[in-house]
Amino acid sequence: MKTIYRNLAALGMVFLLASCGGDADVSEIEVIDNSAEVAAYYAAKPEFFSFKSLADIPTDLTWEDGSHLPEIGSDKAVKGGTLYNTVQDFPRTLRRVGPDSNGSFRPFLLDYTTLQIAHRHPNEFTYHPGLAESWAVDTANKTVYVKLNPEARWSDGEAVTSDDFMFMFFMYQSSYIVAPWYNNWYATQYTNITKYDDLNFSITIPDAKPDMDSRVLELRPAPQHFYKELGDDYVERYQWKFQPTTGPYVIEDKDIKKGVSIALTRQKDWWAKDNKFWRNRYNPDRIHISVIRDTPKVFEAFKRGDLDQFGLNLAEYWYDKLPNDDKDVQNGYIHKSVFYNQHPRPTYGLWMNSHKPLLDSLDVRTGIQHATNWQLVIDKFFRGDYVRMQTSSDGYGEFSHPTLKSRLYDINKAQEYFAKAGFVNRGSDGILVNDKGERLSFTLTTGYESLKDILTIMKEEASKTGLEFRIEVLDSTAGWKKVQEKKHDIAFSALSVSLEMYPRFWETYHSDNAYDNAFLEDGSVNPARTVKTQTNNMEMMAIPEMDQMINTYRASSDKQEMIDLAYKMTQLHHDNASFSPGFYQPFYRVGHWRWIRYPDDFNVKHSRSPAEYYVQWIDTKMKEETLAAKKNGESFESEINIYDQYK
Amino acid sequence: MLNLNPQTLKKLRRFRDIKRGYYSFLVLCGLILMVMIAELWVNSRALVVSYEGDLYFPTYTAFHPGTDFGENYAYETNYRDLAAKWQEEGSDNWLIMPIVPYNPYENHSSNDIYKPEAPSFSQEHYLGTDTTSRDILARLVYGTRIALLFAIVYMVAVYVIGVVIGCAMGYFGGTFDLLFQRLIEIWSNIPFLYMVIIVFSVIPSTFAIPMRIAILLIVMVLFSWTGMTYYMRTETYKEKSRDYTFAARIIGASNTRIIFHHILPNVLSTLVTFMPFTVVSAITAVTALDFLGFGLPVPTPSLGELLKQGTANLRTAEWIVTSAFLTLVLLLTIVTFIGEAVRESFDPKKFTVYK
Repeated sequence: MKTIYRNLAALGMVFLLASCGGDADVSEIEVIDNSAEVAAYYAAKPEFFSFKSLADIPTDLTWEDGSHLPEIGSDKAVKGGTLYNTVQDFPRTLRRVGPDSNGSFRPFLLDYTTLQIAHRHPNEFTYHPGLAESWAVDTANKTVYVKLNPEARWSDGEAVTSDDFMFMFFMYQSSYIVAPWYNNWYATQYTNITKYDDLNFSITIPDAKPDMDSRVLELRPAPQHFYKELGDDYVERYQWKFQPTTGPYVIEDKDIKKGVSIALTRQKDWWAKDNKFWRNRYNPDRIHISVIRDTPKVFEAFKRGDLDQFGLNLAEYWYDKLPNDDKDVQNGYIHKSVFYNQHPRPTYGLWMNSHKPLLDSLDVRTGIQHATNWQLVIDKFFRGDYVRMQTSSDGYGEFSHPTLKSRLYDINKAQEYFAKAGFVNRGSDGILVNDKGERLSFTLTTGYESLKDILTIMKEEASKTGLEFRIEVLDSTAGWKKVQEKKHDIAFSALSVSLEMYPRFWETYHSDNAYDNAFLEDGSVNPARTVKTQTNNMEMMAIPEMDQMINTYRASSDKQEMIDLAYKMTQLHHDNASFSPGFYQPFYRVGHWRWIRYPDDFNVKHSRSPAEYYVQWIDTKMKEETLAAKKNGESFESEINIYDQYK
Repeated sequence: MLNLNPQTLKKLRRFRDIKRGYYSFLVLCGLILMVMIAELWVNSRALVVSYEGDLYFPTYTAFHPGTDFGENYAYETNYRDLAAKWQEEGSDNWLIMPIVPYNPYENHSSNDIYKPEAPSFSQEHYLGTDTTSRDILARLVYGTRIALLFAIVYMVAVYVIGVVIGCAMGYFGGTFDLLFQRLIEIWSNIPFLYMVIIVFSVIPSTFAIPMRIAILLIVMVLFSWTGMTYYMRTETYKEKSRDYTFAARIIGASNTRIIFHHILPNVLSTLVTFMPFTVVSAITAVTALDFLGFGLPVPTPSLGELLKQGTANLRTAEWIVTSAFLTLVLLLTIVTFIGEAVRESFDPKKFTVYK
């Protein structure tokens, strides 16, 4: 009876809340000022937050400002016009951190459109200034000194100061933002920030790495004046507030049409607009982003001219849906471009959970490696355009293993390995069965709806070796969750990788990320160990030797030693056979209307997509001309260009 | 069993006289028969193999590894290649392939690239291939089979639940009736398609494919049995207050006997008229779910999945959408024709015409 009353009360609450939810939110929000709290936080952690004077900056530093680096983009670029773009889902929030912020809209809000202290030059790999005027790396003391550009402004006119960087640590370390990764990263990967004056500060990290500058230089500040109300209700309070930006594009309230479209507007008086590395970029006055959920519909909108460009990475679009003899291509209205880029490749492949029964056998895993026919997928589904991935750390230059090759599809070898694991006889459906009556059958999970055809092809091929894949296609969030909770048998997935000097191993292969207390003191397997969830060790790899190498690698500041270790670890990972490397795409392809102009060499070397560095511009006159020509049936020279200078 | 009462016989005769419905019924029966024996005419396994004097009939047996027929591989024999090889060698061995020599799962492409290919008689892809070069006719046939079976099981399940509960509500009345009516009102206001999508997406899908299809079926049934209860309830109420029911009760018949021997046979006509329409709605629902990507698990052949592929490739491979669409139209039309004919023949007012 008690429960009934409780339920009734709960029901009543629901009605009550539903009836008065409408108007309560705007007017009654309490105004907070967290200045005192922030100051107290700094004071409580004096070893992390230090305040010194300009005189304390060492005088023997070598200051860099990247001024010798070439400009980015083309000087032919002109400002103006509207770029029409699309996303599949309306952004769930305008916050940059916290729940739902890591969606497909983030590049527009954060990654591609805001400034860091300094940026890797996309052709030269070394740093060019962003918010900083100059910086100095003190390797011995694991510290990077930064001098901010006095011109640097937030889009609301406030100056960017050292305080914003101190506040960034406060914010990302606080539990208000509901972002455990940020909490962990900003508390453990940095050990100190020192403010010398409004423009000068230094940041210290725990280990001196060959690329320690990137740890600091790629930071983005958080505007303290804007986050004055940061508190327990951060997630709701800032849900639809646009944070002032250091970049060129702002989002105005009037341009947020929920569920329909959103637009970015270029600030005409952006502080960096004449800066050497920025003046030829971010050219469109406005970027209009509409929501279209279906890829085929996106394509139709592009063909109609409602969208300015369309990614043609998939073979069916490049060859069949927008073939070279398409009318619009032949008439020169739409240009097709292929650009061979250089970038660490996302690790598409099969991630086998070696914690699961049967998959804990090396022979079974090796057999699966030989039973997955990636080459067939590449040749027939991708039409030979993609390339087989050899190791999980391809694309890192000298840090990638030069000779190691992934295992090839081979029915006999696969059967040999399965036989070693006790799978000799086939059942009535052709799938191998062992003496205990277990079938050689695994669930193959993926969150990539668009790539499910690959799995059906591999399923057919695997069945020839006596292996069964049960395909499970989930939506992307559910698929990722399953893998993060280590509930998968085998997952077809990929980790995206950012432009870094050397690959990371700890996240994916260290036993710390597979089990809690994986090994006992004497190095033997802890029988009571429990699976650790929410980490990227999706193969559940736990090898003491690997752990040791990873620890040395993480602590090492000697590049040659790191390279040697990277090779050894890659080899060990290969021998463990828990990851079947898939494919990578050595280029990107795009179709764009004639009025979208790109530099003569199309794009920058380390770009991942045509839009990443905003080097394109819109020729509004050409747009009118093209539309008129299309109406009158006139044509231009057709352009299908291949840019393979970085192949 | 077949001792039908004259009333029913009359209705059946009337059904036969409605030509459109009757022929549709025959076509549907033929169709069901055809898809039930689909393995015999759409299959990558041979019908008969004669190898070194022995005859093999691999259609319904366990798989034959290539080694059974002198090939050097341990996986399922590729009978098409085998036939070609024997023909080339002029060997005494022979085999007969089904009319459509493909199964619905295999990727078979004529030019080494997996992409939709137009219908071709020389390739024996009579309706072309889909985006990963699977035979569309094979996928249609097996997809239709699953849809039909699914719909029939669905219908039976919905009827069993609907009839039991509806009948009980009508027969026992009172508090029981009142309580269930309210329950059903609440339950039936839950939007069915969304519920199926939500429930199905949280069910762990480590099960084998038949199991996953069964779960989908159960979920769909759970959210659609309510409609039937209304009709059953009113019909039972009506029949219950008729004299023959009172008479039976006075003689001393038990509730079970009254329900099963007196009431149910008399409300049958209501049930029968709804059946075809339930089948239609089941096929539509499962196709819609597949189209949205929440239905039968990959790579099960299904009409909805083909429709989805078709709409995604409207410009480049119109044969996908055409065949899936026409199949669906044909199927739903004949079932609807049957439904109309049944309704008309069971209508007590003979001279009303449904237009």
